[in-house]
Amino acid sequence: MMKTLTTIRFFKPLACASLFCLPMLTTVPAIAAGNAVSGADVYNAECADCHSLKAGKNKKGSSFVGLIGRTAGTVPGAKYSDAMKSSKIVWTPERIDAYITHPKQVVPGGSMKYDGLDDAKARADLIAFLATKS
Amino acid sequence: MQFPRRQSTASQRGGMRFLLFSGGIIALTATMNQPAQALPSYARQTGQECTACHVGGFGPQLTAYGTRFKIGGYTDSNGESGHLPLSAMFVGSYTHTAKDQSEDAGPYAGANNNLVAQEVTAFLAGGLTKNLGTFVEAGYSGVDNVFALGEMDVRFASTVQLGGKDTVIGVTLNNNPSVTDPFNTLPAWRFPYASSDLAPTPAASTLLEGGLDGQVLGISAYGFWNDSVYAELGGYRSLSTSSLHSLGLAGDAGEIDGISPYWRLGYMKDNRKSAYSFGVFGLYSKLQPDRLSSEPTNNYQDIGVDASYQFLGTRRHIFTLFGSYIHEQQTLDNTFSAGDASSRDVTLQNFSLNGSYTYDQTYGITLGVINTWGDKDALLYQSDSRTGSPNSTAWILDANWTPFGKESSWGSPWANLRLGLQYTLYTEFNGASSNYDGSGRDAGDNNTLFTYVWLSL
Repeated sequence: MMKTLTTIRFFKPLACASLFCLPMLTTVPAIAAGNAVSGADVYNAECADCHSLKAGKNKKGSSFVGLIGRTAGTVPGAKYSDAMKSSKIVWTPERIDAYITHPKQVVPGGSMKYDGLDDAKARADLIAFLATKS
Repeated sequence: MQFPRRQSTASQRGGMRFLLFSGGIIALTATMNQPAQALPSYARQTGQECTACHVGGFGPQLTAYGTRFKIGGYTDSNGESGHLPLSAMFVGSYTHTAKDQSEDAGPYAGANNNLVAQEVTAFLAGGLTKNLGTFVEAGYSGVDNVFALGEMDVRFASTVQLGGKDTVIGVTLNNNPSVTDPFNTLPAWRFPYASSDLAPTPAASTLLEGGLDGQVLGISAYGFWNDSVYAELGGYRSLSTSSLHSLGLAGDAGEIDGISPYWRLGYMKDNRKSAYSFGVFGLYSKLQPDRLSSEPTNNYQDIGVDASYQFLGTRRHIFTLFGSYIHEQQTLDNTFSAGDASSRDVTLQNFSLNGSYTYDQTYGITLGVINTWGDKDALLYQSDSRTGSPNSTAWILDANWTPFGKESSWGSPWANLRLGLQYTLYTEFNGASSNYDGSGRDAGDNNTLFTYVWLSL
C-alpha cells in the first residue's frame, strides 16, 4: 500500500528537531508530500549500495530502518565520521531533505561519498519511502 | 578465468612454437581468458551485496561503485573488525567445438567434448590495513593439472585533497599490464568474463592482450581525482625463468629489455542511474624472445582507446555497452634477422565491443565481438595461417543465471553461483574463413559451445 508523508506522524520529531538543530537548518522549508512507491526506486538508484533496509545490518553506511526520528551517528556498529557523530542531527524529513540535497554543506567533514540529489520530488519520494521503514 | 601462462593447451602450443622459434608475434594469449573478480570476501568486508560492485551480482564487470572500490585499494569496509580477506572459487566447464580439434585440447583432455574442473582457486582478497588491500589469486588448474599463481594486484591507496576535491592516490604491485584497470574495457578484465581453456582460439593477439600476463612484475602509481579523472603510470620487468617455473607458469614471452612502461588516462562520470567512461592507454615493450642480451629485440608499441556506458536505473533493468581498440606497432628486429618475418615492421589491431542486458540482477545476456586484423606476413604467420594473415573475428553470445548475490539472497554473502551458456562463432580464423591452416580446417570448425558452473564463497 502506498504511503505518503501526509500519512506519517512526523510532528513529534519535527518539534524536537526545531529545538536542537543547527542554525543553518532551522529555516529549511517544509518539503512536499512524496510517493513511497516511487521512493523505493529512488532508494534503489541512489542509496541501496551503501544503506540496508534490514534492521541491524550496516553496510558502508548505517541501516535505514528507523531512520526517521533517529539521532545521527547512533546506530550500533555503524561506521561514522567524527563530523557526523558530533552533529547531533535528528533525522526529521526536513533534515534528511536538506542533507541529501547538499551532504557536505550540512555535515562538513562527513565521509559520505555522495554529491547530493537535486530533484526535490525524488527527495520527497525517498523520504516517504524511508518513513515506511520504521 | 584462467591462470596466466601455465602449461599450454594444444592451440597455445602452436603459438608458443611460433613465438619461441620465430620470435615473432606474441601468441601465448590465444585463449583470451580472464580471471575472475567477484569475491565474497569483499562483500563480507563491506557488508554490501555483490550487486553493489558488480553488474549482475557476479564479477568481474564493475559498476561505478565497484570501480571506486578497486581504485580505493580494496579497503572500504563497514567498519567492523575481524573480516578474513579470503575467498575461494570453483569453475567447472564443458566445451564442445563444431569439429574435433586436430590435437587433444589439453594435456589431460580429448580432442572434443571435454568436461573439466577448470579452476579451483583461493584468493587473498580484501583490506589488510586501512590503506593496504589485495587481490591475489592462486590455485589449481584442472586443465593443466598444475598449481600456479594467478593474477596479483596489491594496492596501497589513500585519499587526499587536491584542488578542494577528494583525490585517491595509490601504488600497485601487480603481474599483468591492465590488470589494474578499473573500467572493464582493457584486456585483463573485458568480456568474455568466462571462457573455455580447452577451445581453439586465434593465434595472433596484441601484447597487451595478456602477452605478458603473469610473466612480469610491475609497479604503477595512480591517481583518481574527484571521482572522475584517472591517471596511471607504471613499469614492468620480466620474471626469471626459474621464478616462472616455481610459480607454475610454463609460458615465456621472453625477457623485457629494461622496463616496459604502461600508462593509462581515463575519465569517469557516475550519475548513479547511469555511468560512462572513456580513456586512452598504452604499453611499450622491448622483448628478447630467447632472453639473450646479445640478440636484437622485438619491440611492441601498443596504444588504445576505450569507452563504456552503463545504464543502471533502479538496478532492475541494466544495459551496458563496452568497447576498446588497440593499435600495435611491431618492430621485429629479432624475428626478421632470424629470417622468420618478411618485414621488420608489422601492425596488428584489435577491436572489442560488447553489449549486455541484465534483468533483476539475476538473468544476463551479452553479445560481443572481438576482431583482430593486421598486416599479412607469410613468414611471420606461417605456422598458423595458410594466407599469412593474422585476421580473426569472433562473435560471442553469453547467457547466464546468477540466483544469489543480492541482499535478500539465500546464504548471502557466502553462497554465490553463476550458471552460464556461451557460444562463440568465428567468421574468420587465422586469416581465412575456410581452410585457414592449409589442412582443410574452416573457421566455423572452431565454433565453441561452452557451459560453465562458477561458484565462489
